[in-house]
Amino acid sequence: MVYGNKNWLIKNIYSERSRTMKITGAEILMRSLLQEKVEVIFGYPGGANMPIYDALYFYGKKFHHILVRHEQGAAHAAEGYARVTGKPGVCLVTSGPGATNLVTGIADAMMDSVPMVCITGQVAAEFLGSDAFQEADVVGITTPITKWNCQLTHADEIPEAVAKAFYITNHGRPGPVVIDITKNAQFEKVEFKYPKNFYVKKLKTVNKYNSGDIKKAAEIINHAKKPLMLVGHGVLISKAEKEVLQVIEKTGMAVASTLHGLSSVPFDHPLYVGMLGMHGNYSPNKLTNSADVIFAVGMRFDDRVTGKLSKYVPIAKVIHIDVDESEHHKNVRAHLPLLGNVKDVLISLLPHLKKNNHKNWLGEFKKLDKKELMWEKKRQEKNKNKITMDIVLSLLSKKTKNEAVIVADVGQNQMFSARYYKYKKPDSYITSGGLGTMGFAVPAAIGAKIGAPKRLVFAVVGDGGIQMTIQELGTIMQERLPIKILLLNNEFLGMVRQWQQLFFEKRYSFTHMENPDFIKLASSYGIKGEKIEIRKKLDSALDKFINFKGPYLLEVKVEKEDNIFPMVATGTSIDEVRLE
Amino acid sequence: MKYTVDIVTENKPGVLYRIAGLLTKRKINIERINAYAVKGNGISNIYFTADIDDKIVYTVVKQINKIIEVIEIKYHKVNY
Repeated sequence: MVYGNKNWLIKNIYSERSRTMKITGAEILMRSLLQEKVEVIFGYPGGANMPIYDALYFYGKKFHHILVRHEQGAAHAAEGYARVTGKPGVCLVTSGPGATNLVTGIADAMMDSVPMVCITGQVAAEFLGSDAFQEADVVGITTPITKWNCQLTHADEIPEAVAKAFYITNHGRPGPVVIDITKNAQFEKVEFKYPKNFYVKKLKTVNKYNSGDIKKAAEIINHAKKPLMLVGHGVLISKAEKEVLQVIEKTGMAVASTLHGLSSVPFDHPLYVGMLGMHGNYSPNKLTNSADVIFAVGMRFDDRVTGKLSKYVPIAKVIHIDVDESEHHKNVRAHLPLLGNVKDVLISLLPHLKKNNHKNWLGEFKKLDKKELMWEKKRQEKNKNKITMDIVLSLLSKKTKNEAVIVADVGQNQMFSARYYKYKKPDSYITSGGLGTMGFAVPAAIGAKIGAPKRLVFAVVGDGGIQMTIQELGTIMQERLPIKILLLNNEFLGMVRQWQQLFFEKRYSFTHMENPDFIKLASSYGIKGEKIEIRKKLDSALDKFINFKGPYLLEVKVEKEDNIFPMVATGTSIDEVRLE
Repeated sequence: MKYTVDIVTENKPGVLYRIAGLLTKRKINIERINAYAVKGNGISNIYFTADIDDKIVYTVVKQINKIIEVIEIKYHKVNY
């Protein structure tokens, strides 16, 4: 091989002659990824994936490889990329610690149904099981948190495994997969043959509902007096936003969203009643239990949504669309489970639905909305000269015409950005909902920006979360990514502190944080920034922040002991939702 | 209540581990287990008996059925 002459090699790699030539497993991996139309790889090189990185050296123009600063960052960035594009995010890391560092991100993707293909290097097959340097049982470790995984010890296994991995990760309910490739397989030379029209027999059919079920569902909905649709992540995954609007507009039913369903229905739609769950809006929490029909669409009745399960939807008939059979009856017994892709089910259902409206039922929501609004006004009056997270997010929403992508971290910042940014465009709210991974936002924003370069991408983080993956500022610097980081600094782990205040008699056990000078820190990464401490400066600072070309960190010192309300306390019913 | 779960699966490494993991997650203890490969067709049969709460048995079985290699699954109550 003439390593010095990159162009010569690239030319020959694609020549007709080389197609029948024996090539290394590492190169076979490159070609397999090209077959799957992979464009972006988030990765970090190390001992056990060096042959792959060597092949990448020659395939560099075919892929956009992003060198992260920690493997966890690669996983979250891949998630962010997948969430805005719908395409699987790809991670490439080394064995042992490289792979174990991915684990949090893989678990996060599993919980939030994100398609992701992780390729991990592994020690040579002859050393497997010998506690070799940087050896870890990656297949064993990742089994409970992957949809599928495998270990490859021969180069000729690579094409089929890659084809299978990409098919599985995004088929039905998406989820992460791991391919562990031993170093000898990366070196081994075989001929490259890619399986055509690959599919896994078992997964072929996703839709298992029948026309009888559809008619039954339509009948239940047509006879409902107080129907409530609950939209979840499944709507965005199956791109069924249009169908959801058609169904609600025809039937006149109210619609509420889960955390991950946010942005699937525009906030200003007259039938949209707000967000569900522990820190959701007042009226949908208060009235879910009064509904006579619950139409759950691509959501999984998470405990944050249901509150105390034994008191959840006591009278309603539950129709539950999910693509994953094990979600039916898992938390809430469904009277009519519909197994299938949300979009397909809604399209089948639509002609059977009758035109209807439910003015009185919607009026009940409006009445409670007024109560929330009054509470809101009182709160704003009280905080008139202070900076609170809700004000910052509301202003950001207004100034960006409700059209930006918000990548929220975990905690108070996450809930404030879910509630006070007004989502209008699909795929605009990205956060770690299931696993609740602090440190998610900055790396996920990197992936989101790469996946949606034309959209404005904001990472909304707290002072705790940003420090969990702050090393990724280096990635932003190297990739020159114009990501806006909104740091809401209250010098506390805000959500834990709120719980300590409410349920542990203000015993603030280790939730106060002494922080570095974030602006100086960002500046050392070549990222411009500004710190705001008084309300008067907020407006102009936000303008500058939004309009700045390039990465920017806006640190806003917010009220230290502010709380997010409404709140459904753990163990209580959702209709016991409190405003303070 | 005791249940016997009867699984037909592709004969691949790691399937039993995934099944055991799903049970461990819910603190379900296997009382009896039998697994054997059917010669020649790459299929394996796994049977196990365990004490599983009636309320979760459906979900557990459906979760096992989500394992990519699993082809078919049945379960029934054991009376003894």
